Amino acid sequence: MPKKAVMKMYENAKRTVLICCGTGCLANNSMQIYERLKKKVEDYGPYFQIIPVLKTTGCNGLCEKGPIVNILPDEIFYCKVKVEDVDEIFEKTLLKGEVIERLLYLDTATGRRVRSHKESEFFKRQLKIALRNIGQIDPGSIDDYIERGGYKSLKKALFEMTPEEIISEIERSGLRGRGGAGFPTGYKWKQARKINSFPKFIACNGDEGDPGAFMDRSIMEGDPHSIIEGMIIGAYAVGAEKGFVYIRDEYSLAVKNVSRAIKDAYERGFLGRNILGSGFNLDIEVVRGGGAFVCGESTALMASIEGKVGEPRVKYIRSTEKGLWGQPTVLNNVETWANVPVIIEKGADWYSSIGTEKSKGTKVFSLVGKVKNTGLIEVPMGTTLREIIFEIGGGITGGKRFKAVQTGGPSGGCIPEELLDLPVDFDSLDKAGSMMGSGGMIVMDESTCMVEVARYYLKFLSEESCGKCTPCREGIRRMLEILEDICAGRGREGDLELLLELSETVKEASLCGLGKTAPNPVLTTIKYFKDEYLAHIREKRCPAGVCKNLTSYRINPELCRGCGVCAKKCPAGAISGKPKSPYVIDTVKCIVCGACKEACRFNAVEVVGRR
Amino acid sequence: MILVRSILEKYPKEQRFLLAILQDIQRTYNYLPREALIEVRDYLNVPLSSLYSMATFYKALSLKPKGKYIIRVCDGTACHIRGSMNLLDEIKRLLSLSPGEVTKDGKFSLETVNCLGSCAIAPVMVINDKYYGNLNPSLVREILAEYAEKSGDENV
Amino acid sequence: MKILIDNKECEAQYGEYILDVAKRNGIYIPTLCHSDALPGQGSCRLCIVEVIEGGKKKVVVSCLYPITGEIEVLTNSEKIIRMRKNIVRLLAARAPKSDYIKKLKQEYGITEEGRFSVDEEEKCVLCGLCVRACEEIGAKAISTVNRGTAKKVSPPFEEPPEDCIGCGACASVCPTGAIKVQEIEGKRVIWNRSFELLKCENCGKYFITKEQFEYIRNKFGIEIKQILCDVCRKKLTAQKLIPLA
Repeated sequence: MPKKAVMKMYENAKRTVLICCGTGCLANNSMQIYERLKKKVEDYGPYFQIIPVLKTTGCNGLCEKGPIVNILPDEIFYCKVKVEDVDEIFEKTLLKGEVIERLLYLDTATGRRVRSHKESEFFKRQLKIALRNIGQIDPGSIDDYIERGGYKSLKKALFEMTPEEIISEIERSGLRGRGGAGFPTGYKWKQARKINSFPKFIACNGDEGDPGAFMDRSIMEGDPHSIIEGMIIGAYAVGAEKGFVYIRDEYSLAVKNVSRAIKDAYERGFLGRNILGSGFNLDIEVVRGGGAFVCGESTALMASIEGKVGEPRVKYIRSTEKGLWGQPTVLNNVETWANVPVIIEKGADWYSSIGTEKSKGTKVFSLVGKVKNTGLIEVPMGTTLREIIFEIGGGITGGKRFKAVQTGGPSGGCIPEELLDLPVDFDSLDKAGSMMGSGGMIVMDESTCMVEVARYYLKFLSEESCGKCTPCREGIRRMLEILEDICAGRGREGDLELLLELSETVKEASLCGLGKTAPNPVLTTIKYFKDEYLAHIREKRCPAGVCKNLTSYRINPELCRGCGVCAKKCPAGAISGKPKSPYVIDTVKCIVCGACKEACRFNAVEVVGRR
Repeated sequence: MILVRSILEKYPKEQRFLLAILQDIQRTYNYLPREALIEVRDYLNVPLSSLYSMATFYKALSLKPKGKYIIRVCDGTACHIRGSMNLLDEIKRLLSLSPGEVTKDGKFSLETVNCLGSCAIAPVMVINDKYYGNLNPSLVREILAEYAEKSGDENV
Repeated sequence: MKILIDNKECEAQYGEYILDVAKRNGIYIPTLCHSDALPGQGSCRLCIVEVIEGGKKKVVVSCLYPITGEIEVLTNSEKIIRMRKNIVRLLAARAPKSDYIKKLKQEYGITEEGRFSVDEEEKCVLCGLCVRACEEIGAKAISTVNRGTAKKVSPPFEEPPEDCIGCGACASVCPTGAIKVQEIEGKRVIWNRSFELLKCENCGKYFITKEQFEYIRNKFGIEIKQILCDVCRKKLTAQKLIPLA
């Protein structure tokens, strides 16, 4: 469309400028961008035909390219905006409707700059359901939420449907728990409704503890009403009159935004007594966690809400029968709740048309690690790992080779290259020994040591385990001991067999999900990366060059051009040589930081085993 | 303790508010003073042994004062593979601090956190409520130098 | 209803735990953290069994698994033996000094290992029975502190517990003898606190601490006229009843 025509189209439009204030962008000064732009707009004041509205929003998902400034209705999507760019954005785009090319999204696949984010590889393949509002609304504004259709589903549920009909709709939609276990949501609600014992409770699991996962945080920060609306509908369906949103202690902004949303919901009559005149009552309160990963486990979470330490209990009797204070309790994950209003609005048939046979709908993933487009994405279930990592994610950074993708957090496993065409859903990744989990997807390249990754996860779990049962507490402790030995060069013959044996016991005899899934990272890395383990144990060598005791660097004299760049980069002054002749590393001075390898353009620095 | 009293009176005398009460006390004093725990025991009628369990189970609570500036280095997986250990090594070098410790002057304490949800700007560290991303050891050195200059009595 | 344990037909009530049914039918399942007086820890996991229900097999702890249908239970399948053996190995690495663990080691044919670093003096296996006993019988003076590998049983602030009444319930219920109780010269020493013992007014034996005596008196609000040990109290009560016979 010719430039002038575009400008004319939006000339008298009411402009909305959306400035992303998700944590990533906030850390990059997006609040200062907002403040500066706000001042410019205020100063210009009466000269505007229609004064543009400025909003701070939750996380857009494209954290790698933040800070993000999105201008509507023009659909101009600016990336990596600096405070210094604000004046230009104001003068050129807000006042004249002109596009600043250099701030547009650069599509790494095509090399072209695109105007609207919708045209980018990153966003094109996504289908936003749980994330439908994030980046488009001010999370502190209930009116923004209502304007985009919020609370319509609640009215439909309260006045046009019976609780049984609501449950049936959720069941037919095929919605399964998004927290990782994938339990059928409708079935869970049905079980709770059946029990004739009051009071009943509903709860939201916002204890997202998987390292590398920030899906739930984005929803709690960026669109808290979607969760609340879902919970009110769920509470009505099962017959609960009290709800809790359990939020991880580290998520201060989420606590703030969810609390504010609850307060606003009360004011508008969506919570409290006789909601909207329906006769239904519901109170919801926020409970803040205390810094314990295990509190993401359902029974531990409930113990924590009860004011006790977060120790899980056996689940031979389900929480829907005996949960909080021995009463029927429906606990669902943040993302699960966020899907509920949309399913009620658009219906089970629509929802179940998306995804795969057994995994309906979409899933939010946090795609992080050594991938170009790190951030938050939402795709239909069944999208393959390859599509996610290479097409949406843009492939591996720094021109390196893909090695593995870790899914499912500490409960999941590492998936190698040969399995990249696996579709991502609840069941397909299980067969590979991993699990989709809550949606954390960590991409690893050739410079990641898979043995060290296993050690890392076990260390994490050894501190986060509640410590009650023997297999988990002692099993993880000893598995960690073996892995630390292996990474330090003290690995022995028979260690792998011992790890596998202990894994079986920890997996099957542990009390709760934390213990039961703890061996997964070890099992998958041994299965797919056995050679790396053997190199550590038998050759005392870390192929990736990560385990410092098992790594030393050596300059290959046949490839070295004597340029001296490595010597300049070396922080320990360990490299010496004369120009145009091979340089040498003094292994005594070397601190094994890898800077020389990074710097060398001729691949002359080799990783060899222990010095 | 007057402040403890005013915190307690905000809550009904039910066990389920125990964690919230302890969190409030932690935020006020930067740790859980023993006298405060005794008051909580009397208010909620919960044995001291349970309070001690809570204080040692939840990492948000501490029985010893944390630093004026609490450095939290993210050791989530994304940060880990992007070099969070190097940041920790640097902090150890500069402040002789290991995770869980406080400097002698009480100015800094160090913790590792298991994912701050800012994986795109990994590796990340937070000092009190301020986020720092895309770090490397020399940036850490610069940032800590800024804090070291502060008198310690200012509001950060 | 009828269930099968190791192919033996056993009668069971709805909701009963497998362990209780097994015991009643003379089938031995090893335990560590189980006590008939304080059931339901479920932490040692030694009592694991395989349950076949609805065509599916699963591993559960028999001390806490409620029977809700006609299930089949295997207490000694190859898998269970293998896992129990590993649990004993883990326990032995943790608390090598305990006699109970040594006995289990023999039972499962585990010889010395040396792969793991070991604290030779440790006896506690964190079964949780002592804390439970203190909650139900004692004065809630001790609890489990920390979490994960660092978890342990301790009085608050790792000091002699103020709330302790010296009843010794924790020590008597401990399966591995990890809690030390000493009685010398009318004093009982436990958890590094010294308690004064009271003498039975009838036989003169030391039998209860002053603190426990006061605790019971206050807890039940009763006036105790004579300080008598259990044996003497029963004897004297019986004597009072004889004239009525």
